[in-house]
Amino acid sequence: LKISLKMSMFASKVNISSLEKKPIEQRFNPYRDNGGSVIALAGKGYCVLIADTRLGGGYDILSRNVSKCKQLNSKCIIAAGGMLADRRALFNVIDARHIIFEHQHFRPMTTQSIAQLVSVTLYSRRFFPYYTFNIVAGIDEEGNGQLFGYDAVGSMEQLPYGVQGTGGVLATPFLDNQVACKTHEDDKRDLSLAEAIELLQDTMTSIAERDIHTGDSAEVWIITEDGIKMEILPLRQD
Amino acid sequence: MSSEPYSFSLTTFSPSGKLVQIEYALAAVAAGAPAVAIKAKDGAVLATEKKHKSILVEEHSILKVENVTNHIGMVYSGMGPDYRLLVRQARKIAQQYQRNYLEPIPTTQLVQRIAAVMQEYTQSGGVRPFGVSLLICGWDNDRPYVFQCDPSGAYFSWKATAMGKNYINGKTFLEKRYNEDLEVDDAVHTAILTLKESFEGQMSSDNIEIGVCNKDGFRRLTPAEVTDYLANIA
Repeated sequence: LKISLKMSMFASKVNISSLEKKPIEQRFNPYRDNGGSVIALAGKGYCVLIADTRLGGGYDILSRNVSKCKQLNSKCIIAAGGMLADRRALFNVIDARHIIFEHQHFRPMTTQSIAQLVSVTLYSRRFFPYYTFNIVAGIDEEGNGQLFGYDAVGSMEQLPYGVQGTGGVLATPFLDNQVACKTHEDDKRDLSLAEAIELLQDTMTSIAERDIHTGDSAEVWIITEDGIKMEILPLRQD
Repeated sequence: MSSEPYSFSLTTFSPSGKLVQIEYALAAVAAGAPAVAIKAKDGAVLATEKKHKSILVEEHSILKVENVTNHIGMVYSGMGPDYRLLVRQARKIAQQYQRNYLEPIPTTQLVQRIAAVMQEYTQSGGVRPFGVSLLICGWDNDRPYVFQCDPSGAYFSWKATAMGKNYINGKTFLEKRYNEDLEVDDAVHTAILTLKESFEGQMSSDNIEIGVCNKDGFRRLTPAEVTDYLANIA
C-alpha cells in the first residue's frame, strides 16, 4: 500500500503527453560487422600476420574463403577486421596511392610511410568512418619487423604484437603473457621466426575454438627481408 | 583563382608558338639580382646579391635565402613578392608530404610540385606567371641536389648555374671554374667569385647572402661566417 501511494504521488507530477510514443528516426544502417580476427607479431628480422578467411553476416556464414589482407609491396601488408565493404574500399585507396607513389619516386613506400598514410586516410573520414580496424605489418629499413595498429578513425600506434577483430579480445591476454611476458618479466626473450609462427598459429586456432565468427581457414603471412610468403592454416568450420 | 569575367588564361600563344607572357617573365628574372647555385661533392651552395636601395633600409630584416625544410633551401632571381608566395607554398607542400608519409620530402618531389604550381599560373584564368626563377638545393639519399624552377614550370637539375643580371657571364665563369671534386668550402668560394663578376662596389656580409646544404641539413651562413669567406677572397 505504501509503495502504490508513493507511485501515485509521482504520477501526479508526470506530464501525461510524455507517455505518448515519440517518433523514432528510422535510417539505413551503413555499417555491419563481417566478423573474423587478425593477429600479428613483429620480431627481429620478421613480421608474422595471421587473418582468418571467414566472412560472417550476423549468425550466418557468407563465405569460408574471403581474404582480409592486401599485400602492398614486397615488404608490407595491410589487414583489417570489421566491415568487408569498407575494408575493400580502404585497401584499394591505399594501394592506388602506393602505385602512384612508386611512379613518382621510382621506389616503393617504406612501411612507416604506408602506416602514416593509412592513419591520415582514416582520419580524413572522421565524420563518416571506414568501419575497419586495421593492422599494417611489414619490415622496416633495417630489416626488422614493424607493426602498427589503428582504430576506425586512424589513431595509430606502433606495437610489438597486435590484434583486431571479433576474436581479438581473446588473444590479447594470451599474447600479453606469451610475448611481452607481462606476468613473468624474468622469462622475457626474443622469439625466433619459427617460434613466432607456431605461437600465432596456436593463438588463431584457440580463437576459432571460442569465437563463433572466426574459423574456416586462415592466411598466414610471413614477411622477411627475402620477401613475403603466404600459407593456409585450416581452422574449424563450425 | 579565376573569377567569372576572367575564366580565360592571360597567357596565350603567339602565332610563332611562343607564350609571350613567359618570355616576359623570364625577362623580369634576367633583370633581377644575381643568384648562383653550385653542387659540391658533399653538399650544395646557394648565393645571391642583396643590394639595398637606400642606406636607410634595415639590413638583415629581409632574407632572400630561405629554408623550406631542415634539408632543403631556396633562393631566387626576379620579383621578391612572387618569391615569398612560392616559399610559403613550398613549406606547406613539404609539411603536407611529411604528414602523409612520415618522412622528409625528397628534393626531387618538392621541386616537381613547386614547378607544377608555377605551371598552373600559366594556364589558369585571370593570373599571370610568376616573375621569378628559383634555385632549390637539398640533401637526401646521401647526396646533394641543385634544381632551377622557371616561370614556365620547367625545372632543370644543375651541377652549377647562375641567374639574374649578367647570368651569361656568370655561367661562362662557372663552366671554367666548376669541377666535380669541389667540396662545400670550395663551392662557397667559387660562388662568391661568380657573384663578384657582376658586383658593383665592395662585397660584404651585409650585401650578399649564402646558404649551404649538406648531410646535416640546410642553413643560411651567419654574417660572421660570410665575412670569413670574403676575407679569403682578397
